[in-house]
Amino acid sequence: MDSNRRVSPIFLQVKGMKDIKGIFVLASLFLLFISAGAFSAQEIAIKAGTILPISDAPVENGIILIKDGKIAALGPNVAIGADARVIDAGGKFVMPGMIDAQSRLFVIEGELNDSSSIAPELNILDGLDPFVKEAPEVAAQGVTAVYISPGSHSLIGGSSAVLKLNGSMDIGEMLLKGDIAVKAAIGVSANNESSSLGRLSDYSSIRESLLETKIYVHNREKQAREMAEYNKKRAEYDKKKKANPAEKADKPKRPARFRPNPTREVLAKVLSKEIPFQIEAHRVTDILNALRLADEFGFTLILDKCTEGYLVAGEIARRKVTVILGPVSTSFIDMPSLEYRNHDIRNAAILSDKGVKLALGVSGRDGASSKFVALAAAMAVASGMDRDLALRAVTLTPAEILGVADRIGSLQAGKEADIVIISGHPLDTLSRVEMVLIEGKTVFERKDQQ
Amino acid sequence: MKKRRFLAFLVVLSSCFSLASSGGEQQVLAIRAGKIWTVTDGVIAGGVIVVNNGKIQTVSQNAEIPEGAKILDMPQMNVMPGMIDAHCHIGLSLDIFGEMDETVAAVAADMQILDAFNPQAEDVKKALGSGVTTIMLAPGYKNPVGGQPAVVKLDTSKADEWVLKRTAGVEFSLMNQALMFDREPTSRAGLVELLREELNQGKAYKAEEFNPRRELLKRVVDANLPAYIWAHTVDEIASAMAIVDEYKLNAVLVAAGQGDEIADMIAKRNLPVIYSPLLLSSKDKDLKRAGRIANSGVKLAFASLAPKTDLCDLRTSAILAAKYGLDKETALKSLTINAAEILGVADRLGSISEGKDADLVILNGEPLQLTSSVEMVLINGNIVYQRQGE
Repeated sequence: MDSNRRVSPIFLQVKGMKDIKGIFVLASLFLLFISAGAFSAQEIAIKAGTILPISDAPVENGIILIKDGKIAALGPNVAIGADARVIDAGGKFVMPGMIDAQSRLFVIEGELNDSSSIAPELNILDGLDPFVKEAPEVAAQGVTAVYISPGSHSLIGGSSAVLKLNGSMDIGEMLLKGDIAVKAAIGVSANNESSSLGRLSDYSSIRESLLETKIYVHNREKQAREMAEYNKKRAEYDKKKKANPAEKADKPKRPARFRPNPTREVLAKVLSKEIPFQIEAHRVTDILNALRLADEFGFTLILDKCTEGYLVAGEIARRKVTVILGPVSTSFIDMPSLEYRNHDIRNAAILSDKGVKLALGVSGRDGASSKFVALAAAMAVASGMDRDLALRAVTLTPAEILGVADRIGSLQAGKEADIVIISGHPLDTLSRVEMVLIEGKTVFERKDQQ
Repeated sequence: MKKRRFLAFLVVLSSCFSLASSGGEQQVLAIRAGKIWTVTDGVIAGGVIVVNNGKIQTVSQNAEIPEGAKILDMPQMNVMPGMIDAHCHIGLSLDIFGEMDETVAAVAADMQILDAFNPQAEDVKKALGSGVTTIMLAPGYKNPVGGQPAVVKLDTSKADEWVLKRTAGVEFSLMNQALMFDREPTSRAGLVELLREELNQGKAYKAEEFNPRRELLKRVVDANLPAYIWAHTVDEIASAMAIVDEYKLNAVLVAAGQGDEIADMIAKRNLPVIYSPLLLSSKDKDLKRAGRIANSGVKLAFASLAPKTDLCDLRTSAILAAKYGLDKETALKSLTINAAEILGVADRLGSISEGKDADLVILNGEPLQLTSSVEMVLINGNIVYQRQGE
């Protein structure tokens, strides 16, 4: 479609020239466009040393076939078409693009949210700066998608999104999926002071909003029932009137109009489990309060940060609540605030040993930190987390928790071809990312040999 | 795999108990490990370190284990020399907002930082757990003349033995932060001038007078005592080099963030660099700097600057530098022998060699892997840290 638009002015020009040479130029241009179109739809075959599909066992000396930006086939014996572009990654590791599930990339410093506000109707997409310089550095470390949620200081801060680091400067083109979850925070202090009363008030404010939403939904449904009833009666009334205009009948009374409230509508989606509720909680009391809210209102809970989760790992595991955990090490944050007082580097290992489904986020002090997601996984391994689960925690598990596993997170036929080629195992700190593909397009290729 | 690890752990644990029960007296200890990173003599696969009376007696692939020696049998483990944090502020009971500088007087050459050290502090234990066995305890960078750093070992159980150097040098700062609006100097030129003035006074010092401060500065001018000069930006480093040239100081650059931009000039003067920590938020450009400095032939060591940054783990800096271009061997040296040489304690520390102190770190993987964790730390052959069971 695009090529048609570009061809037409040239075509007009050529028509004006009306000579053989011009037609020749047109023909060659046309051929060029055809071949360019063919190139973008060209098959790509990656010959890998070791494929780590994450969803399945590693495949040695396998081939990944990419067609139209998607993985068409994967395995030890895949037929490669004659005109396919072959990427030789012999001796190298190939894995799905990593996801930082706690990224601050594209977030404008200090504009995350208001203190103590309840604003579920806000959308993180409206507050992002797509022109940040660090995005290519992050992609160059094999991170192909970032999950960005509103900050910690709002009680309810709005909805979050997953973006792809495909090099675009257009949020719309980067967007993989919006409205992933509604973000809330309990017990996170803005001024690094903390009181039990403050925590209690956070908890009860959020609970109150949910209760009000419950009442709102109840009223909306009641009004809808009444309206249906009215419509039925009105139809009967109209029918009667039409048949016998002289007959006396009571005209049914129309119920009062219902005023939709956008704020409540967002939380209504949380209550109907359409969108998960992501609650940032650090300390044990806050984590338990988040669990209690989920018990009471029955929403899908994602626990965010979960700093002291290791102290109540059993409680979290029993409820099958998913966790986005981070930072793995306080080395990722500048000035560890009060919430991190009992931070323990073994948190991820302990929770995952208890069977909690968890994703690892970098949760770094700024956007550039997202490039260290593989290092975060390595640090979790150092403190006892299973290697395979740690790798899954930065690929498939976040994709599953965030509801985008149908598109990204593992190397499987049908998924988008977001692929990383690395010189060694991804958990080997000194491995180097050689190439990064997003939907089959190369977004990074290592040039220096150093 | 897990079971085997657990068994190895049991063996280690039981041998530790027996060590502890013998009170750590003049014991012969043999450590059999999967890989021994001697730093100065390559990597020995499946070797044995024999420790006698707190010193390394032998290290080799097939050293004979003396009769009656306690044996730590750890075939899965890696052993490296105790790491040396070339500049930090732990044990000073500081929180992240704490002060370690005299903020009223600009010149605090008399100040001995060791006087403020608490060896029982929580962050000292944390440093031990990260494999750091020796530190240069330093004042901050807010005083143009900042006081005397000390070199100490983190096993303080035996009085007197843990202080390697009470006065390891004198600290100077050419950093922007040394300028304050409410005390002199208030300008960059004034700052450099103040340093000159102090050094001139030292130069003119005669033994008949009694003035400890000037005597100290005389030792610096005579190059008997190293000058540790904080300088971060290119111009600060240039000022430092001008002073070093003028007074022919025995100097070490501290921080040196942008040192890569004039690395050749630093290398020409044989100035070692104690590099500030590499952070897990730095831009690629900054992460490549340490490697560039070392590749220009400058002797490099790392500082954690803990607890001012939360990077208690010194090793992370070297690993990040290695990931971004620092040669692997140099990265390992920067944590050990380079730091020992810069601090003047290489006769006792910095490598696993015969005759050196048995300060050893035992890891469950290679030293330059973030997936490896520190399982055990020994100082003078005594176990001072052991990782808690999972």
